[in-house]
Parts: sequence; structure tokens; C-alpha cells
Amino acid sequence: MDRRTREYLRGRFGDYYRSADLPLPPAAEAREWGHIPWTAGEGTTMVRHQSLLSLGDLGTFLAEESPRHVYFSAARYDDPGETRMDRKGWRGADLVFDLDADHLPGVDPETTAYPAMLAACKDALLRLLDLLEDDFDFETSVVFSGGRGYHVHVRDESVRDLDSEARREIVDYVRAIDLDAEGLITTRSVDGTTRRVLRTEGGWGRRVHRRLLEFVADLREMDESDARTRLQELDGIGAGRSETILGVVRENPDAVEAGNVEAGGPGLRTLVDALVRETIEEETAPIDEPVTTDTHRLIRLPGSLHGGSGLAVRRLDAGEVADFDPLVDAVPERFTRREIRIEVTDPGPVSLDGDSFTLDADEYTVPECVGVFLMARGRARKVKE
Amino acid sequence: MRPDPHHARYPFFTAAREAVQAAAIDPPQLVAEDHPAVERGSERVERALLSGTVASETPDRWRARDELLSYPVARVLVSLVDSPAAVEKYAAAEAATAVERFREDFERGGDGLRSVSTPRVDLDDVLREFGLDAAVDRETADRAGDERVRVDVDAYLRLSNPDWGDRWRLVNRELAAGRVRLERGDLYRLLEAAVRRCVVEGLPFDVRASASGEALADALEDEVATLRDLLSERDAPPARDVDTVAPAQFPPCVRALVERAREGDLPAHSAFSLTAFLTAIGMDADGVAAFCDLDPETVEYRVAVLEDGDDVQYPPPSCETMDAYGDCVNRDERCETVSNPLAYYAAALDDAEAVEEYDT
Repeated sequence: MDRRTREYLRGRFGDYYRSADLPLPPAAEAREWGHIPWTAGEGTTMVRHQSLLSLGDLGTFLAEESPRHVYFSAARYDDPGETRMDRKGWRGADLVFDLDADHLPGVDPETTAYPAMLAACKDALLRLLDLLEDDFDFETSVVFSGGRGYHVHVRDESVRDLDSEARREIVDYVRAIDLDAEGLITTRSVDGTTRRVLRTEGGWGRRVHRRLLEFVADLREMDESDARTRLQELDGIGAGRSETILGVVRENPDAVEAGNVEAGGPGLRTLVDALVRETIEEETAPIDEPVTTDTHRLIRLPGSLHGGSGLAVRRLDAGEVADFDPLVDAVPERFTRREIRIEVTDPGPVSLDGDSFTLDADEYTVPECVGVFLMARGRARKVKE
Repeated sequence: MRPDPHHARYPFFTAAREAVQAAAIDPPQLVAEDHPAVERGSERVERALLSGTVASETPDRWRARDELLSYPVARVLVSLVDSPAAVEKYAAAEAATAVERFREDFERGGDGLRSVSTPRVDLDDVLREFGLDAAVDRETADRAGDERVRVDVDAYLRLSNPDWGDRWRLVNRELAAGRVRLERGDLYRLLEAAVRRCVVEGLPFDVRASASGEALADALEDEVATLRDLLSERDAPPARDVDTVAPAQFPPCVRALVERAREGDLPAHSAFSLTAFLTAIGMDADGVAAFCDLDPETVEYRVAVLEDGDDVQYPPPSCETMDAYGDCVNRDERCETVSNPLAYYAAALDDAEAVEEYDT
């Protein structure tokens, strides 16, 4: 990044911070703060181990320093400004989840356009929230990272003192890592006989069971031959098994409802096995493990700007998640008021603030937010107006 | 001081510790008086290091007061031994013994065997003691009579350990609305962890920090030396690692149970004890059924209840429990040296010149 571009972005980030009123996270004075300044060259230097006390007023600090990236710790400390971790006096940490388009299965960040990556990430976010809210009963706070993903913060007091190992158990649950698929079915003794049943009262067993009930409800809606075709699309189900499964579905709905996988012979068990695979594929959330298990992690400050996109790190209200479009809703209003002149160095499509352009390697006058976005991503440089 | 009989059974309970404090009787005083609690405290640690229990071998020798006061003495001794292994083994033994007693107390409450003179705590008392009363909900028992509980996920994560086996991994649990559904036996395992944690807290402490502590440490020098010797001698593998089936080395109580099983005369609780023992030494359901001439389906169900996964849920019963059910029979010399049938078996295997393995 050349000097003119850097100075421009630094100046405009400062303008943004001067007019922004950033809310502090809870217990801000017990958090460690860090930032990356605008520096020349490739390397980035994080200035960390700062306390709010050493920064002074956060708003003033941000306006004067105008950092490229701003972070605060998920952890609370007795002495957040202490440089040695073991002397900080760890008092607990929020539980934090990170979804990043770079880590989504089936999404290649090299070939996938930015809007498509963000959309895939949003799907993963909705799955994560479903797990955290329905299974864990956590109160969540969702933040768009300003880059390629989302962060979810859980600040329930009950989770703060969980150690790294306990957090890993939560990660593994969310990703269904080491899930014992056989173990989702258990032996239950009913009136002297034993039965193999799905564990329907919670966990992944309950999720598989829900899917089974939906699947079966769909089958009942279909006519005979469609239902048979639908069943035979699944692994391990041929003409014979589809017949027995349909028989159970029609004649013994209570057994399906109760999670009894032996009703009508081995057919239903095969269906359940297929649905286990589907449930894992479609309901797990590919969170980035180290972010959750590291109890000293620094996280982007909501309300700050992401130096690699010029987008705002935005906290989303519960009702806002479904309709949130980062490429519109995270564009700082401050950067939508005028046009600027840039030279595109890395041509290609760009979608922002409701507009889409395809830019060649040339000089353009563009809305400021588009210019900031391209410059922050290293795809353009500032030229004289 | 007339101690509450609960306190003698559960001396780590807050109320018990407060009672000791209120009575202003401290270990230096006990040592100076040559109080029986000192000898019992020493036995407590010795048993913990050797047998994994803190229950006395000669319970009739001690008054409730000796039991209660032996706990602070034991903590002093463990601190003076000053080895992480000693603290670990001691706390694990206190926890194992406590949970065995919880189990007896809880079960006695339910089946009408409760005698008026036997003090007991109920599950709610214990949960309250560990601040878990709000974290645990009890489901009503199902048709098979099995009762399940739901435990707050944070409490579950804090007390359980994923190394206990796949079954204990959160991913394999029934988690809903922030609560993990557990069988009662699993709750006991969490309570054991809670007791362990409570006992470990503050151990080892610096006994010699004061002049009176210095004198106390000096006075207990012999006991501490004995315990250190035991610790270094005793690095034998734990009994539950035994995986040889050699019927000739079975303890007399188990041999009697096998015989009764083959005759078709075994009440359910005894069948559970027998199944727990046999699975602990590595037999599977089919093996147990064939060996004891039992109905394979019933055994399979029992093993599922006992084991449910790759981790033994119910440890084989202790001698105390066997005795409580009237199953402790034909005691021999070796019985005097152990506190549970599995330890008997491990020792018998060690001592046997040739072991004839049963082909499972």
C-alpha cells in the first residue's frame, strides 16, 4: 500500500471514529486491548497488553490513533496491562465463536466471490445460533466481523470460568466431532423386553429424530411411488427396504414417534443411519476451533472498522440476523456521502452498498465506500482528485 | 461436643468443618492428648493410599467424634507427606468412599430399609452441599424404574472429564435447553468429582507455617515417614485394570454368587453385583451369560445399564456393599486385607503361582 493511500485511509478512519460513538463491552476496564496501526510495508505489528487505563478514553484514543484494526480480549483480568500472560490474573473469559468463510467446507476462498462467501457464512451462522440457543440455551450476541464472517459472543456468567478443555467439548458438540453415531441408538427395557430406540431427549439424537419425523411426514404426503423413489435415493435402501419402511410409516406411526428403530425390521434403522449423515452435514457449524478454545483471545471491537475492508464490525440485534446484508448494512454511513478518485490495480467485480460494478485497471471516480473497500483490500490506490 | 452423625460420615461437608471449628479442637491439641482421632486419621490416609477407600477396617473401634476429627488430622498428614500423588490418591479415596455412602443413603431411603438409628442424607442435601441444587433437575422414573436427571451443561463440563470415555463426551450426550440428561449412576460420578475437588481444595498446606504447626509436624514425624514409605512401595496398578478371567482366584463372595446364579437363585441386586464384577475384569454380556448360566437378554440389559459405552459406569461393589446385601460370605484371610472384591481378586492373581484362565 502506497503512502498516499495509507494516509487517506488513516485520515478517513480517524474521521469515522471522531463521529462514531462506540459502546464499550461489559467490564471494559478488565479487558486487554490491542490494535494494529497503519504502517508502511508488508508486516503488521499488533500493539497489545494495553489496558483501558493506559489508553485513556477509548473514543479519543481511536480518533487520535486511527488504528487499522482494533481488538479487545474475551478474557477479563485483574491486571490487563501486564505483559506476561501468567501475571495478568485471569478472571474468566466470554465464550466466543468465529465463523470465517476461509474455513467453510465446500467454499474455496480463491474462486468464490465475496458476496457468495458471506452468504455461505450466514447459513453457517444460523446453524450455529440454532445449536447455541436450542441445545445450550445460551444468550448470544452476534457480530459481523467486518471481513469474511461472524463472531458470536456468549457472556453468561456460567460459562466464563470454563477452561480450554471444556470449551473444546462445546466446539466438538457444535461440529459433531467424535460423534458416536451408533451411540445415538440405545437399548431400553420396556415391560420386560428390550428395544433399540433413538435417544430423542436431546443432543444429536434429538436432531436426527426431528429430521426423521419431518422426513416421514413428507413421505405420508407423497403418493406411493414418489415415496418409494424418495426412499431409494438414500444409501442402503432398495426396493424391499423402501417397502417395509413405508409399511411402518403408515401402520405404526407411534413407533416412529417414539424413536423405535426396530419397528418393521431393519429398514427403519437404515433410514435413520442415512439421516444421521444428513443431519451432521446440514446442522453442524464449521466454527474455527482455536478461537473458542483460546481463553486469552483478542476479538475485534464491535463498532470499529476492519482495516482489510473498510466495513464496520457490526453488532446485530436478534431480529436483524436473517435480513442482514453485510455488503449494505456494514457500510459506514460516513463513507457514503461523496465520491473519490482511485486507480484500480486489481480489476474485477465489486458489489457494495447496493451497487455492482465491474472495474478494469483504470482510474475511476467511485462512491467513497467502494474506493475505501478496494483500497483496504489492496485492489486500488488513491490518486489525486 | 456431640457430633451430628452425618458429620462423621461426611467430614468434608461445610457444616461438619464448621462444627469442628466451633468446637475449637485443632490437630495440635488432638496430638498432644493422644486422641484416638490421630490414630484414625493416620489409618484414613493409609487406607487411601493402599486401598482407595478411607473407611476404617475396624469401624467399631471408633466413635463418631473420632471419625469426624480424623479428617482434619488426615489433611495435616497428607500435607506433610507433601507429594502430588498422595494428595491425588487421598482425595480420590475420600471421594470414592463418600459416593459409596451417598449411594447407600439414597438407596436406603427408597426401599424401606431405612432404620431409625442410621443417619442418612438425601440427594437434595448433597446437591445443596456442592451448590448444585439449582443445576440438577430430576425426571420422574420411567416404566422400568430408571430415574434420570438433567444437569446444567456448565456444571456438567466443570465436573466431568472427556477422558472418562466416549460416553462422557458432550457430543454424545442428550443436551437440550442447556441441560445434559444423565442416568443416576452418572450423576454419582459427577458428585464424586465434586467431593474430590472439595477435598483437594487447600491441599497440601504449609503445616509448618506457625510455631504450633512446627511442633505438630515434629510430633507426627513417625506417621508421616510410614505414609511416605507406603506411597513409594505402592505403585501397583489399580484393581480395575485386571482383565484376566481366572475363576479359581475369585473372592469367596463372587464364587458364591456364581454358584447361586447357576442354580437360578439370584435376586436382582446380587445379579447386578456379580455382573459388575465380571464386566470389570473384562467379560462381555455373552460371556457373563454363558459363564453364569443366565438369560442372555437379561444380562445384556444389565450390562447396558452398567456399562453403556466403553466406560464402566458402576464400579463393582465394595465389601461394605456386599455385606449390606448379605452377599459377603465365606470370608477368608485375604478378605481382611481388602475393601472390595476386585482388590481381593487382583491380590489373588498376584500371589497365584499359576493362573488358569477361563476361556471367554
